[in-house]
Amino acid sequence: MLDILRITSTPLAGYVAIAVPWLAALMVVAYRRHVRIVGCVAAGVSAVGCVLVLGIVAPGQSLYPSVMLLYSCLTLGAMILLPQRDCSPGIVGGMLLLLGSTLLAYSTDNLLILLAAWILSAVPFFVPRWFQAQSWRPRAGLLLSSIALGVAVALMVAGTHTTSIERLQGRSPGGPAAFGLLVAAVILRKGILPAQAWISDAAEAGPAVPTSLLFSGHFGALLVAKLIVPPFAGATASFFPILSWLALATALYAAIRALAEDSPRRLLALVALSQSASILAGLESRTAEGITGALVHWYVVAVSTVGLFGIVRLLEVRFGENLTTATHLGLAQHAPRLAVSFAVFGLALLGLPGTLSFCSQDLLIHGTLQSHPLTGLLLPISTAMNAVSVFRLFTRLFLGRRRTGFTAVVDALPRERWVLAVGMVFVVLGGLFPNAFVARRSAEADLVARATETKHARMRH
Amino acid sequence: MTLPQAILVSVVLAPGVVFLLLALAWLLGWTPGEKLITRLTGLTFGACAFGLAALLWNVTEAHSAGVVVSFGNWFSVQDYHFPLVLLADRLSLPFLAMTVLLCGLIGQFSATYLHREPGFFRFFVLLHLFAFGSMLAFAAGSFDLLAGGWEIVGITSVLLIGFFQLRPPPVENGLRVFGVYRACDIGLLVAVFAMHHWAGTAKFATGLPQLFGRENLIVCLLLLLAAAGKAAQVPFCGWLPRAMEGPTPSSAVFYGAISIHAGAYLLLRIQPILAQSTLASGLVILAGMATALHGTISGRASADAKTSIAYASLTQVGVMFVEIGLGWTAIAVAHILGHATVRTLQFLRAPSMLHDDHRMHSAIGEHAAPAGTQAEDLLPESIRLWLYRWAFDRGHLDTILDLYVIEPLLSLSRIFARLDRAGSRGGD
Repeated sequence: MLDILRITSTPLAGYVAIAVPWLAALMVVAYRRHVRIVGCVAAGVSAVGCVLVLGIVAPGQSLYPSVMLLYSCLTLGAMILLPQRDCSPGIVGGMLLLLGSTLLAYSTDNLLILLAAWILSAVPFFVPRWFQAQSWRPRAGLLLSSIALGVAVALMVAGTHTTSIERLQGRSPGGPAAFGLLVAAVILRKGILPAQAWISDAAEAGPAVPTSLLFSGHFGALLVAKLIVPPFAGATASFFPILSWLALATALYAAIRALAEDSPRRLLALVALSQSASILAGLESRTAEGITGALVHWYVVAVSTVGLFGIVRLLEVRFGENLTTATHLGLAQHAPRLAVSFAVFGLALLGLPGTLSFCSQDLLIHGTLQSHPLTGLLLPISTAMNAVSVFRLFTRLFLGRRRTGFTAVVDALPRERWVLAVGMVFVVLGGLFPNAFVARRSAEADLVARATETKHARMRH
Repeated sequence: MTLPQAILVSVVLAPGVVFLLLALAWLLGWTPGEKLITRLTGLTFGACAFGLAALLWNVTEAHSAGVVVSFGNWFSVQDYHFPLVLLADRLSLPFLAMTVLLCGLIGQFSATYLHREPGFFRFFVLLHLFAFGSMLAFAAGSFDLLAGGWEIVGITSVLLIGFFQLRPPPVENGLRVFGVYRACDIGLLVAVFAMHHWAGTAKFATGLPQLFGRENLIVCLLLLLAAAGKAAQVPFCGWLPRAMEGPTPSSAVFYGAISIHAGAYLLLRIQPILAQSTLASGLVILAGMATALHGTISGRASADAKTSIAYASLTQVGVMFVEIGLGWTAIAVAHILGHATVRTLQFLRAPSMLHDDHRMHSAIGEHAAPAGTQAEDLLPESIRLWLYRWAFDRGHLDTILDLYVIEPLLSLSRIFARLDRAGSRGGD
């Protein structure tokens, strides 16, 4: 049982990081008091566990532990940022379940455990009181992706009689059928064309902050890095560019789709989808720049997405849930700090110099253009359109004459201010001094790059 | 690090540091008063001006090609590097001096002009960020770094267009300008990639990347796209009159002086490789001539002073593009410096133009005689009417952009939205 986690040779801290959120989720649902405190403590303990794990692994092996740390910190931040109205046992319990499942998926070396974590992370979205979407598509997307992964895992296990992911490297377990199903799972879970619609449906109808955490788990990218690229190196070289083209097409589709969108939540979901699709394209680029850019971008997109959704939720709580970009709302006069935070996270998502995404976009564009000179051009084009959409959202929400109908409303509360400040410091300091951060991701990218070093790649070189 | 290198670094960083300090103070809940902001601005740009004077003296005395400061790589991944190199040579020094002097001047002017304006603090914060972005772009020793400064200039420009944020039109115009900037900046980003790909570097501190034939042409065309967008050349010039929604001091410093000339600076920087391609040079000349013609015709039908000055500015920048395309770089630099100074003065005097006119009438005791026969009077009336309509709609460029780019994109977006929502029960 102990070999299910490959994050370290002494996995106790890893177990604590995963188990504590689950125990806390049960406690929150059963005890139903001091919900935020329990949630914060559990996410904090989980983050400390991840730090301990990260402290003992070699830099080249730190890919998953560092993403685990990011995710636990994100959950902690989201837990603090969560408006009082949303701080119910169900929501917090669901977030903690999501945290534990995501960390388990990142850390495990076992196919069955990965499948279980994948399914568990989707469970909260099937609880009607938690996820009140009228649309069937979010649940269908999550369910179908789980089925596709389940069948793929069954084929892989049946073909190789092993559940260890490490032992599957380069063996193409389960053959083309398993490969196809894994790609289908990625497409469905990540919202890649033609399965993109559930993402914006989920963002519109689901609880904003937890849904952004679901997006920020980037399970699709995880599956690519962990279960597609290493075991299917041969097939990856031949067929994987198709997924890359689909990802680039998704990036462009979502960017165009966002241009005329009036719902802030849908718009943000589309921009986040467009930006996160480029992560897949970077991972597939099979260049050091592209893969490193994808890994750095993973961090930036996750932090910015949770930050932006968090701010939109805070605005909804203060100004009503019928926010729209059809008109200028002038909310900056009431909430200038939320406006500035929104601008920083928005620009950080889109590659403003001085933020970490400037580096990640730079690397991503270089890597993708090198790998696909023509289709790679879609990436800067979609980023430019996303920038226009986010700027439009910012101007419509925050600029213009203030709305009447409500009296004095508070700006960001101290706890919200601190969380947003930490997020902004991360993206800005990371952008000003990116070398240490990029170097670490570069070492991690070598892992993925080595796995994709196939006959095709050697021919290219 | 030698003294000239330290001075160069300090001059470039100073406005950025002031921006960070002011922004941090505000985030912590303290907004500095007008007097303090004005003094800090004066001190910053004053010190920068002294520093640049010393640097200029040093370069002239030592007969050196310039000062280069290399900080190594900002970040690197295997063979790909993002070099952090600053360069103050005989091309960038005049631009740096122009930026420091005019930003300092605008700072002092705005202290009075924007006195008690609710956005006083915001204006000065953005002015410092703009100055930092401009100096980064002009002092960059690589196209990677230049792109960084270029983007900062763009975003501050847009935020200042929407300075009067309570009125929707400035905000909407800012969004439009932002869209054009982003679209054209794709050229710069892809050009930087192409340089890395074909020449192995985008650094120019020690000589421009070696590019030949088709590769050279592609890079030049991509950079021309970026330059044309920033310098509001045809067919991207529809944003310029919209940018006049910003406060007059920002219009002066952006569209009279610095931002509008950034495109010309980029072309001057790549002039040696531009000269290798007859087609690229020809296109630069063509864009410049078309813009000059468009500017002078459209400016005549402009109803307000700032837009007229903006079109006059556009005409001159078009002429500068022609000069650069013809290889007359020294003339282009002199033209830029002179034009920036005169145009800034014109913009700053624009709000008091009527007052000035009345004072002049009072001084001479009667109305001044008309300025003389206009050249268009020589044309037949039917052509004049056609030209008037053409000028009134600003060459139909915005209409064309709306019809053939924006509307199709929005229609496509709406079609995608309908497709997305088609299968969603209860979808809005």
